[in-house]
Amino acid sequence: MTQPDAFSVPGAASREKSFATSLCDFFYQRRWSWGSVFTGLAVWEFVSRVIVGSKLFLAAPTQVLVALFELTVSGELEKHILTSTLEFLVGYSVACVLGVGLGFIMASSKAGKQSLQPWVSGLYATPTVALAPLFILWFGIGILSKVVVVAVLVVFPVTINTETGLRTTPTQLVETVRAFGANARQIFFKVSLPSALPFIFAGLRLGIGRGLIGVVVAELFGARAGLGQMISQAAETFNMPNLFAGVTVLAVAGIAMTSGFTWLEQKLLPWRE
Amino acid sequence: MTDAPVKLSVADLTKRFGSLEVLQNITTEIRNGEFISIVGPSGCGKTTFLRIIGGLEQASGGEAHLDGRRIEGPGADRGFVFQQDNLLPWRDILANTEIGPEINGALSPEQRRNTLRLLKLVGLEGFEHYYPRQLSGGMRQRVNLARALAVDPALLLMDEPFSALDAQTREIMQTELLRVWEEGRKTVLFVTHQIDEAVYLSYRIFVFARRPGRINEIIDVDLPRPRPLSIKRTPRFVEYVDHIWKLIEEDVRVSVLEEHAG
Ligand SMILES: Nc1ncnc2c1ncn2[C@@H]1O[C@H](COP(=O)(O)OP(=O)(O)O)[C@@H](O)[C@H]1O
Ligand SMILES: [Mg+2]
Repeated sequence: MTQPDAFSVPGAASREKSFATSLCDFFYQRRWSWGSVFTGLAVWEFVSRVIVGSKLFLAAPTQVLVALFELTVSGELEKHILTSTLEFLVGYSVACVLGVGLGFIMASSKAGKQSLQPWVSGLYATPTVALAPLFILWFGIGILSKVVVVAVLVVFPVTINTETGLRTTPTQLVETVRAFGANARQIFFKVSLPSALPFIFAGLRLGIGRGLIGVVVAELFGARAGLGQMISQAAETFNMPNLFAGVTVLAVAGIAMTSGFTWLEQKLLPWRE
Repeated sequence: MTDAPVKLSVADLTKRFGSLEVLQNITTEIRNGEFISIVGPSGCGKTTFLRIIGGLEQASGGEAHLDGRRIEGPGADRGFVFQQDNLLPWRDILANTEIGPEINGALSPEQRRNTLRLLKLVGLEGFEHYYPRQLSGGMRQRVNLARALAVDPALLLMDEPFSALDAQTREIMQTELLRVWEEGRKTVLFVTHQIDEAVYLSYRIFVFARRPGRINEIIDVDLPRPRPLSIKRTPRFVEYVDHIWKLIEEDVRVSVLEEHAG
């Protein structure tokens, strides 16, 4: 278990207490985190309003809030969020299926391992996000090019973790089910795969951050809609409140998805410490 | 016991790993319902012998027959209790215990009743839905035993199952094992390096010698059953232990020296 942070939801234990008490607890237990966040926001507010003093260079948190409100009312924000979400989800799903498949091939065949390893290691280490303009040239400024960028960024950590997970399956456990007469398929589904799941999940979690970067960067290079496009447009017109509004939405999405994932992991893999 | 039918017959069993001869011409017969222990210095091939009988390892020469059928691979007619409990951490105790029947496509309400009965027999009633990490070492070894019994094996193979437990837990587990065994009278091959454990549990003890591994002597343990733990302090018991210890003392000395020399 990681230390609870400012963004985690209060646990089931506090459910019996009254709502007000648990809310107080929630803030009190994390008082340093909340204090830190509010101090940061206050300093930011002060710096941008008093020291910088121009919306062209820096937007204050309150101005960002106003921008978020206006963008929502006009329906613009929803449009961008919808586009980016679609690109992320499709690219991410494709990468998950592909990554688990590639990892499986690498773990189960020597030829597969040897022929795929150089590409996987090489492309994982390469900042492939720099190839985004190329993908836009190939696949157009629509959704497809972003899906490709996301998939390319996410697929490698998933592949590598799947392979590692399958490869590090404890041999004694394999031996145990083999002693009961298990065949290769049973060994895979009853031992190797469940034993690799924590690794695969870790790969999927790594993929969230990379996928978000992929969506935004690809959109920066050319798109009709999406949060990246909104941010780039805001930058061109020196509309700092809108720029920060876009970044804020992305930050919240990243945090929500990562903690949602941690929660899902605890639900699906309850046997872990 | 001598008139019971032959359960396991081993003829000229030999095993080599490269140029290392680990087992040489093992020939023996084990009768239905016997409890046999194998003792010997470390490295004399006890585990290898058990793995060949379990079908996890191929013999280099000779053969073994279980109930008249030649052993060629693993199967549900043998239950293996490993030295480490090797429980699958993602399965609860019930699902771990039932993995054998599950693999052999034998899950049924009847099997479930049998599994629950076995868990009760090894003293784990109420722990069916715990995960392995929530149990102590002794409890995990009980699951290990129940899991092997769940396939209702013709032969139970146990490789130093209590060696990782502390001394008190081990003694309790020995009495528990005898209690479980009395209930079903399975044929058991039990490997241990604790001589008193072998004497306490067995009808017969195979004393192995090393380099190459072979049966040096077979001891008939003529002690009354059921055996209370206090039997370990009787002169007869101590005599058996002394006799076996003398048989393997020299071998153990050599193997310890070799291990320390690397
Ligand atoms: N897979 C293997 N490959 C090579 N040598 C092995 C293998 N398994 C066991 N041995 C060797 O065989 C000998 C007997 O091992 P083992 O059966 O584990 O002995 P014991 O269980 O009596 O301590 C040892 O010298 C060991 O190093
Ligand atoms: Mg051994």
